[in-house]
Amino acid sequence: MNNTFDIHRFSLLLKRQWLEFGKIFLITLVVAVGIFVAFYGFTLFPLENITEMPSRLRFREPLFSIFGFLFISIIASAYFAHLGQKSKAIIDLLIPASTLEKFLAGILFTSILSTLSFTLLFYITDFAFISYIKTHFQNPRNVEGLANIKGFLAQNDFKDFIPLYVTPLMVTSVFMLGSIYFNRFHYIKTAICTMIFGGILTYILSKISDVLFSGKIRINVGNNYGKDQLEWVAFIILLTFTLITWAISYVRLKEKEV
Amino acid sequence: MIKIDNLNFSYSKHRILFKDISMQLSNGHIYGLLGKNGAGKSTLLKNLAGLVYAQSGKIDVLGFDPAKRQPALLQQICFIPEEFHLPAIKIDSYVRANAPFYPNFDHQYFADLLKEFDIPVGQKLIDMSYGQKKKVIISFGLATNAKLVIMDEPTNGLDIPSKAQFRKIMASALTEDRCIIISTHQVRDLDNLIDTVIMLDENKIALKASVDEIASKLCFKRMKEVDETVIYAEPSLAGYHAVVANYHQEDSKLDMELLFNAVLAEKNKLKPIFN
Repeated sequence: MNNTFDIHRFSLLLKRQWLEFGKIFLITLVVAVGIFVAFYGFTLFPLENITEMPSRLRFREPLFSIFGFLFISIIASAYFAHLGQKSKAIIDLLIPASTLEKFLAGILFTSILSTLSFTLLFYITDFAFISYIKTHFQNPRNVEGLANIKGFLAQNDFKDFIPLYVTPLMVTSVFMLGSIYFNRFHYIKTAICTMIFGGILTYILSKISDVLFSGKIRINVGNNYGKDQLEWVAFIILLTFTLITWAISYVRLKEKEV
Repeated sequence: MIKIDNLNFSYSKHRILFKDISMQLSNGHIYGLLGKNGAGKSTLLKNLAGLVYAQSGKIDVLGFDPAKRQPALLQQICFIPEEFHLPAIKIDSYVRANAPFYPNFDHQYFADLLKEFDIPVGQKLIDMSYGQKKKVIISFGLATNAKLVIMDEPTNGLDIPSKAQFRKIMASALTEDRCIIISTHQVRDLDNLIDTVIMLDENKIALKASVDEIASKLCFKRMKEVDETVIYAEPSLAGYHAVVANYHQEDSKLDMELLFNAVLAEKNKLKPIFN
């Protein structure tokens, strides 16, 4: 028997976890859809002036990023939270699956499933409302106005900023670690620690950049000011941070005591 | 089946629970783990299941190190905790989700146990009383056919008829390749069930002896007066309940509660008898 990873055992674990975690997850998704619909409904209706529509639709970016952050961080913070309660932790830790399988199930639910489902639901809601707006203003005289009303993904090309792809993984990795590390008040404790850590890191980086770049002049190479290289550096830094956080989470899960 | 070598465990520097504990437990036995509140009964069980980590020493369970929590070992451990949480689903959903992890799970045996415990099968687990939930989890644990059954205060929350059912079921659950460890502070619940007594006191194993050995070395009887042969005595209506050394191989029924108090109060007098 492979005591580290077995695909059959992993699939059984996913099924089992879905039974407990899935219900909370689905309820959270329903709440998220409700919030999307409320935001779109209150901001856009009544549909009167087509020229105002593009400016009215500007709420989408902050809604997607701020609510998206809250959504995935809350899901990640809830996944292993029960390990802080003796009554739940004993049964879960003694389920005959390896720590790696339990950890990977956690990543699958918190990082991948939550991010994908949030993006998909946001896209569907946005598509539905944009389609409705376009149908409402469908008139030959409004061709130009309709062209300015774009779907969320068409409006924001995510390929323009590569680090965005790894950001959800980083956020969920931090909150998943918090759910393993703390026994109570996981979300708030993780948020406070992240703020302190982020503050210290920002301070150190700003001091380092002061030392490195003070008295120097930026040289313009090409017309993107080194944007591509900086994006890749940011991507690699975020990915490294995520991998380190996952590694710590795995070790903490392995060493979790009741 | 279980080998513990020089186990040292503490929750903090000031709260040492076990100091160089060593013992061996074999299959085919029902061990009763007794001790005062805070003596470390639950912690010892958690050490065996790999739920806590010792500061030093070695624990071997079925050839595995429980601290590694390997699936091959976890499949062979049935742990019934004192406090537990069951999800808001029906019994059959719970079984569908958890039973496949245990290759020897016996569905028919599980159904029989539920019937014996008189559990309403169609009810959601969350709507059940604590005692009913406990019966479900005990039934599930036994149906896994795990080689090591660990129970922490299993009779807490069970009513009087259920305690009798529990004793009957546990007695029938013992097989030659199974080791059952039951921790309790309600010693009377284990009457006629356990075959070996393990008592924890002051960071050590104060007593580990089979019921037969105890009965051959100690005599539990009623006495009108306490004399110098008495190791420990408690006053009763008709005189004293006393523990004396069984020099004349008298037959007597083991009084677990009296033995427990005798071990705690007269450790030094009992030590030479069992060594």
